[in-house]
Amino acid sequence: MYLLRRAWAELRDEVLALPSRTLVLAWVVALLALPAVYGDPYVMRILTMSCLFAIFAASWDLLAGYTGQVNFGHALFFGAGAYTSALVSLKLGVTPWASVFAGAAMATLCGFLAGYLCLRLRGSYLSLATLAFPLIALGLLFAFPDFSGGELGISGLRRLTPSATGNYYVAAVSMLLVVFGLWRLADSRFGLVLHAIRDDEVAARASGINTPRYKLLAFAVSAAAAGFAGALFAHYLRVAGPSTLEVALSFQVVIWGIFGGVATIYGPVAAVFILYPLTEWLGSFRAFGELRLLIFAVIVLLVLLFMPRGLAPWLRDKIETQCPRCKQRNTFYRKICRLCGAALQAQVPGAQRLVGHQ
Amino acid sequence: MYALLAIGFSLIFGVARIVNIAHTAFYMLAAYCFYALMVKVGLGFVVSALVAVGAVTALSVICYRLVIEPVREHEAAVLIATIALALIFQELMLFSFGGHYLGIPSTLEGAVRVLGVSIPLQRLLILVVAAAMLAVVWLVLYRTRLGLAIRATANDLEVANLMGMNVNRVAMATVAISVALAAVAGVVVAPVFVVDPFMWLAPLVTMLAIVVLGGLGSLKGSLVGALIIGYVEAITVFVLPAGAYLKGAVALLIMVAVLLARPEGLFGVAFEEER
Amino acid sequence: MLRSALLAVTLALAAPIAAAQGTVRIAILGPMAFVQGENHWAGAEMARDEINKAGGINVGGRRMQVELIRADTNEIQSVPDATNAIERVITRDKADFLIGGFRSEAVLAMQEVAMDYKKIFLGAGAAHSKLGLNVEQNYERYKYWFRVTPVKDVDLARTLFAVLNSIGSQIRTDLKTDAPKVAILAEKAVWTEALVAAAQKNLPAMKMEVVGTWQPSATATDVTAELSAIDRSGAQIVFTMLSGPVGISVGRQMGERNMKAVAWGINVEGQKEEFWQAAAGKAQFVSTLDTYSEVEMTPKTIPFVRAFKERFKKAPTYNAATYDAIMILKAAIEQAGSTAADKLVPVIEKMEHVGTAGTDTWDKRHDLVWAVGRTAGIAVQWQDGKKVPFWPPDVKGMQPFKMPKQ
Repeated sequence: MYLLRRAWAELRDEVLALPSRTLVLAWVVALLALPAVYGDPYVMRILTMSCLFAIFAASWDLLAGYTGQVNFGHALFFGAGAYTSALVSLKLGVTPWASVFAGAAMATLCGFLAGYLCLRLRGSYLSLATLAFPLIALGLLFAFPDFSGGELGISGLRRLTPSATGNYYVAAVSMLLVVFGLWRLADSRFGLVLHAIRDDEVAARASGINTPRYKLLAFAVSAAAAGFAGALFAHYLRVAGPSTLEVALSFQVVIWGIFGGVATIYGPVAAVFILYPLTEWLGSFRAFGELRLLIFAVIVLLVLLFMPRGLAPWLRDKIETQCPRCKQRNTFYRKICRLCGAALQAQVPGAQRLVGHQ
Repeated sequence: MYALLAIGFSLIFGVARIVNIAHTAFYMLAAYCFYALMVKVGLGFVVSALVAVGAVTALSVICYRLVIEPVREHEAAVLIATIALALIFQELMLFSFGGHYLGIPSTLEGAVRVLGVSIPLQRLLILVVAAAMLAVVWLVLYRTRLGLAIRATANDLEVANLMGMNVNRVAMATVAISVALAAVAGVVVAPVFVVDPFMWLAPLVTMLAIVVLGGLGSLKGSLVGALIIGYVEAITVFVLPAGAYLKGAVALLIMVAVLLARPEGLFGVAFEEER
Repeated sequence: MLRSALLAVTLALAAPIAAAQGTVRIAILGPMAFVQGENHWAGAEMARDEINKAGGINVGGRRMQVELIRADTNEIQSVPDATNAIERVITRDKADFLIGGFRSEAVLAMQEVAMDYKKIFLGAGAAHSKLGLNVEQNYERYKYWFRVTPVKDVDLARTLFAVLNSIGSQIRTDLKTDAPKVAILAEKAVWTEALVAAAQKNLPAMKMEVVGTWQPSATATDVTAELSAIDRSGAQIVFTMLSGPVGISVGRQMGERNMKAVAWGINVEGQKEEFWQAAAGKAQFVSTLDTYSEVEMTPKTIPFVRAFKERFKKAPTYNAATYDAIMILKAAIEQAGSTAADKLVPVIEKMEHVGTAGTDTWDKRHDLVWAVGRTAGIAVQWQDGKKVPFWPPDVKGMQPFKMPKQ
């Protein structure tokens, strides 16, 4: 009883007091409850895909948003995870539950490698160099068709669970776990260090931080999550093909990330959950279904023009204000801070930081 | 051809710090525009070429004003804005022309024999046009006031601004010049290649490789980079049996290798740590 | 387990509900922004209008109209989009049957979804053997898949050699040589590897001399080097295996160089109506494997091709065999008196269907049984801007194969 009351108090004071946290809670509950309430297989498929891509987008954000290493070849990790898991489970007969982690491990290795190669590069050089990696991998795949299945990819993979609902829960739960993990990580000392590196690498070094090590770690963690997503994706579709390495996928994740707001983790996740079903939904109209990519691009462009920092930070600033004294966040309708009682002023637009996170 | 694209891209980046993913999309647009004017409307070669280049350049300036300028402060936003632009162009072309491969009759028929190898005149034309455009760009950059302004802005944006230059206008001029280069490339190449809505993706990657290899913001670098990548691709296909798959991969590997040894590219200027 | 059982029950229940509405819902899946999808849709539209005008499909005494669902799979650009599309038509639009597909990687993924729901999926575009192999290896799961067009990749090769043989004998008599010289020009891709190996092995047995093998990239825009080498080798036949835009370059540059050799093989671009224009009118005498032409493959071919041209102002490609697919469904449904997938599978397996593209029967992989004059397709040659059919020779409407001036 005490525990229950305690939990309720926590919920009321820490979660319901802030609209953004309430939103997240509602979203998690909705996600988990959906199959029981509305078991439409098509909706479930779209949401399963959204979950997988959400992991992928969040992992990109950890790397690009926090360390400022804007990776243009994130599909490398996705593809590495997909192919490794596919090969391990098919050739060695390992259950997909294990091979998925093999995929993630392989992606981590790729992450280390790519990160090591990119240590000395920064800014646009890094972006453009990383663009090359998945293309090199793609070239190698095509060169060894016996091993990789060439342009057809590897098919006939086993599913993680036989039913659509099972797959949905696998995707949803792993998404929640991974994203929450990434978010905690980004919020921890580790994330703070990454932040420092992005804002001023020289200063970070000067304060005794081993910057190359942190950058490598960021690469590896991010790659692991992306590879995990890729492996799940391969087992869900039952095909691991070259399309997991395409430039289009790398671009897609950059769009999600920036659209949602970088260095937030939840931003890209939100972006995926908005944009992916949206494109699908547009596609379901017969009249202009074939124009969905066009409409998609226009929407992205318009959103950017009005909220250049991305959707999530913009929304958060609308519904919450930050207390000038104790830096706690409050709902937009409060006049005084809920913790320290200081008066909340109207927002000063000039004081916006470039990246909204804290 | 790649040199034309690479130099334009490099220029835009050097001056305006814009990573313009849509650069090759403009090249695609020019090819389509040329196709429509020449094959559908039936205008002559010279007229269609001029109109195509002019129209695409004008379009680029409009796009810059409407889309890029408002978000220029945010590097990331610029990035996806250009990706989105490229997607929009691709889809528009796909919608209006369909996903067919289109062919354009050659502007020049026949071939000449040089050292026992016959070279179609159309290819010679590409070479000549590329050389001429390079010369023009060099003249503009090093012999005119505008060129001076562009180079100054590239060197140090803030100081240029302080010296009373309209940095924004300079950036716009640069965008126009570089897209014009891409458009010219599109127009001269269209009769040799096939035109389709996805033709911007492959050269985009090659172009990025060249630019990074040669060094961002360096004209000489882009030229040398284009030559290196071009030769490497040809040699890979020639030497290795599985070459055709690997030609892109090998070229990119070389790029990565160069970057490891010299992170700013062959001729790039090492940017000061921006703080 | 329980869930999938429940699912099966609901689906079994759903089928009669759809039937009660008096329509058979057929989803056409294809990349609708591209030539392939356009033909998928066009062929299907013709079949629908024809059936509905004649009163619909007779299902056990009840007349049912055909309703088409257009689904853009966008499969050339995105495989997940394709799986989403097929899931949508099955669960949202309640499609009873699925027809279409083009890119093998995407069709494999779509096949999985269709089999999950035990829906009949008639392939009309992907040639990869793996699709049929699935049926053989796991019949219970994959039995709902049938391939209507094209024949599987291995059988395409058989057609190629058969035609090559007939061209070879023509060259023997025309040029009075014993062993015609053949240059193999195959794009560098997985699907051509087996073909190239087979060609190098079979051609000497067919009394032809292989002078060399050249492999440009599928997207190459310049084949000057390869063509000048072929010219120098004195080849009389250029055996092509090209699916990408390189096919256009080959056709065009062979013409520009006035080559004496004639091109035969697979040239996917060469099957399209736009090829002549895309090759800038230079692709004289280029020949390729094809499906439709105004020849009497079956009594239905010529009326179909004419009606198609009339309606869509262009000739059909092989993807338009969605028409045949719908007709096969109609015949099977009328024979079984039911639209239940499990009842239709054995009917189609035993069926012999006279379609517009050929006469179709299926083997244990649910692939078409290959036979010249039935499913082997036809060979066409570009002559002065027109696609002229020349093989198989004993079919009515065929015209002579021409060689460039020597």
